[in-house]
Amino acid sequence: MSFMQPSPVKYACSCGILNPINKLFFCRHCPKLRCGFCVCHEIESHFCSNCLENIPSSEARHKKNCCANCFDCPCCQHTLSARATTVAVVRKTEEAKEGESGAPEAAPSPKPSAMPTTKKMYYLSCLSCRWTTRDVGIPDQGVATGTWPDNECLYQVRFNTLMEYYQTVVLQEKQEKQEFLRRKAPKPHKFPSLTDRTGLTVSLIRRQIGWTDKSLPKPKPVNITSAEATADVEALPADIFTQPINLRNITTIAQRHSQPADQPTAVSKLYPQRRSLWIKRSLRCRQCEHNLIKPEYHPTSIKYRIQLFASAHVPEVVMVRCEQPLQPGQSNAILLKFTNPTMYDMTISVLDAPPQEVQINADAFQQACRIKEEAVTSSPLLKSSGVTLARQNSTREVKREVKEKANATIVPLESEFVLNQRDDSKEFDEDVQAPIEEPKFIVWRKGNKVLLRLQFTPSPELQTGNEVTLAFCMQYTYVNTVTNTQDKKEPTTHALYSRIFIHAGDIVN
Amino acid sequence: MPVENNIKILPKSVVCDESTLTGDITFSTGCVVHPSATVIAEAGPIIFGENCIIEEYATIAHELAEGASWDANNILSIGSHNVFEVGCTVKAARIGDKNVFESKSFVGKGVTVSSGCVIGAGIRMRTVQLLPENTIVYGQQALQREAIDKQGSQTLQIDFLRKVLPNYHHLRKPNYDPKKARSVV
Repeated sequence: MSFMQPSPVKYACSCGILNPINKLFFCRHCPKLRCGFCVCHEIESHFCSNCLENIPSSEARHKKNCCANCFDCPCCQHTLSARATTVAVVRKTEEAKEGESGAPEAAPSPKPSAMPTTKKMYYLSCLSCRWTTRDVGIPDQGVATGTWPDNECLYQVRFNTLMEYYQTVVLQEKQEKQEFLRRKAPKPHKFPSLTDRTGLTVSLIRRQIGWTDKSLPKPKPVNITSAEATADVEALPADIFTQPINLRNITTIAQRHSQPADQPTAVSKLYPQRRSLWIKRSLRCRQCEHNLIKPEYHPTSIKYRIQLFASAHVPEVVMVRCEQPLQPGQSNAILLKFTNPTMYDMTISVLDAPPQEVQINADAFQQACRIKEEAVTSSPLLKSSGVTLARQNSTREVKREVKEKANATIVPLESEFVLNQRDDSKEFDEDVQAPIEEPKFIVWRKGNKVLLRLQFTPSPELQTGNEVTLAFCMQYTYVNTVTNTQDKKEPTTHALYSRIFIHAGDIVN
Repeated sequence: MPVENNIKILPKSVVCDESTLTGDITFSTGCVVHPSATVIAEAGPIIFGENCIIEEYATIAHELAEGASWDANNILSIGSHNVFEVGCTVKAARIGDKNVFESKSFVGKGVTVSSGCVIGAGIRMRTVQLLPENTIVYGQQALQREAIDKQGSQTLQIDFLRKVLPNYHHLRKPNYDPKKARSVV
């Protein structure tokens, strides 16, 4: 598998986007190919990538998705590390001993007996650009973590009142909506209550008993002063065009963006920034709502609890080479290697068009394509993944046309062939397989791999330098070990197909 | 080669035998030269100040300009408390005090390094320039900033090396004592 270069072989996902096989997933329940675009992304857990602490989502929201202990360098966005110095406390306030060390726990004071009142003080330092918290005058702290001050920005109070206000507005609107719904559809009680007949309302009874009125006091939004635009802006200083600027004192764009609250222009205003949390993501099929990817919860683990990568279920096609230089309108052949990743034998046929039963409803979803094109592009799945944890129940099958057009005609293989199951122990077997009668197109076969020769003709209209794209339908049998119904337990066999596009190369003259 | 090797090592410095030293080189007191470090004095003498550390695979070269030849007055003077980390190559025209050349950095000819500068790991500087005091060059884009805080001193590291290196390596003996030299004169 080509690791660094884009693969020339692309699979059409069931949503119509082309992807190499290592970016695709396979839903065993549908059973269909899925790509990152047509699955539902969910946040599994939040964690800090530096201290690897797992943080519950409610706490993460409370902490504004930042780690409590780790800081990023405001200068180069690298992680800051705590460094220790030994300081004599009583006699002199400044550092008496230069006892600096890489690790905070190392380097005790050289003469502990001579200096009885020494104390370890910590400061944060960037190992990449050597920025330290002393640069902005943050005093050294007695403990390494937890006590670093947050830099409050100028508008913090205003920001908090605005947030409070809008939270109450949201609450109020929600209550009003509920009230409206309740009034609109009064729940017909099965048994008429006593109070209905007597004309007593609940609140009346409550008042008679002496309780307070039950109806909640409506949350009144606190009044906020609206922002006012002003026309008088401070004039530029007179020397702005004459004074040469010292670029070292001016922050870069990246530095300003990393500190969005105040976006300082001077380097001296850079403060350590709390490190943003990372997430572990689980992917869910949007049609059947089964998980495709579910990582292990613990941040230190890189394993999965559920992993349905397409490369473990769908036969992999690798382009080996073309037999001749590509010429327009000239018959050529391409060598393709098929690999079976599953534990069951596969029967594969290479067709130039989708199999019959699929073609029938092709028209139906052609129609749907045009409507649902918008649904795909505007689907909020990627953008909102950070905002909402709610599951998006889109059960509509979103189809789109495959935009890629093939410009070569292939000669479909005359017969289907069997791709043997994957057997890791077979590689060590000594006995040679008895040569069996193979179809003509099979060049070579070993274990679960087959090299075959596929004939094609690039279209005669192609010019020099145009890229030749082959397209074919690979139909394969897939043995599904999971069953959707309860009563059936034995594995079922499906005949699946996927369209494959191969960039064979450029036309040579 | 214009002159034969003339290495002067002042007392208290630790110069490993496996290092490659060619030309007229003077190590002041307290210098530490690791094995397989390279110092080439081709164009003129190199004089190291006190307490410099030259780590493994570091190369410090005083290269000949085109058409020039050995000139005893063309001295490359390197100040005190400089650190040349593993694998750095330094061909600077002049080096002040308390600089750090981090791993795999490259400082070409014509660069003048003043004092308190840090050349970050992997940085390549080729153009003729003068680094002002306390400049820090860092990152992939070789951004520069000015340090407000002084770089931490390397005394602990030097003391440690002075203790450990003689246990495992053959050393070049200090061969020049300024006090003695004065008494002779």
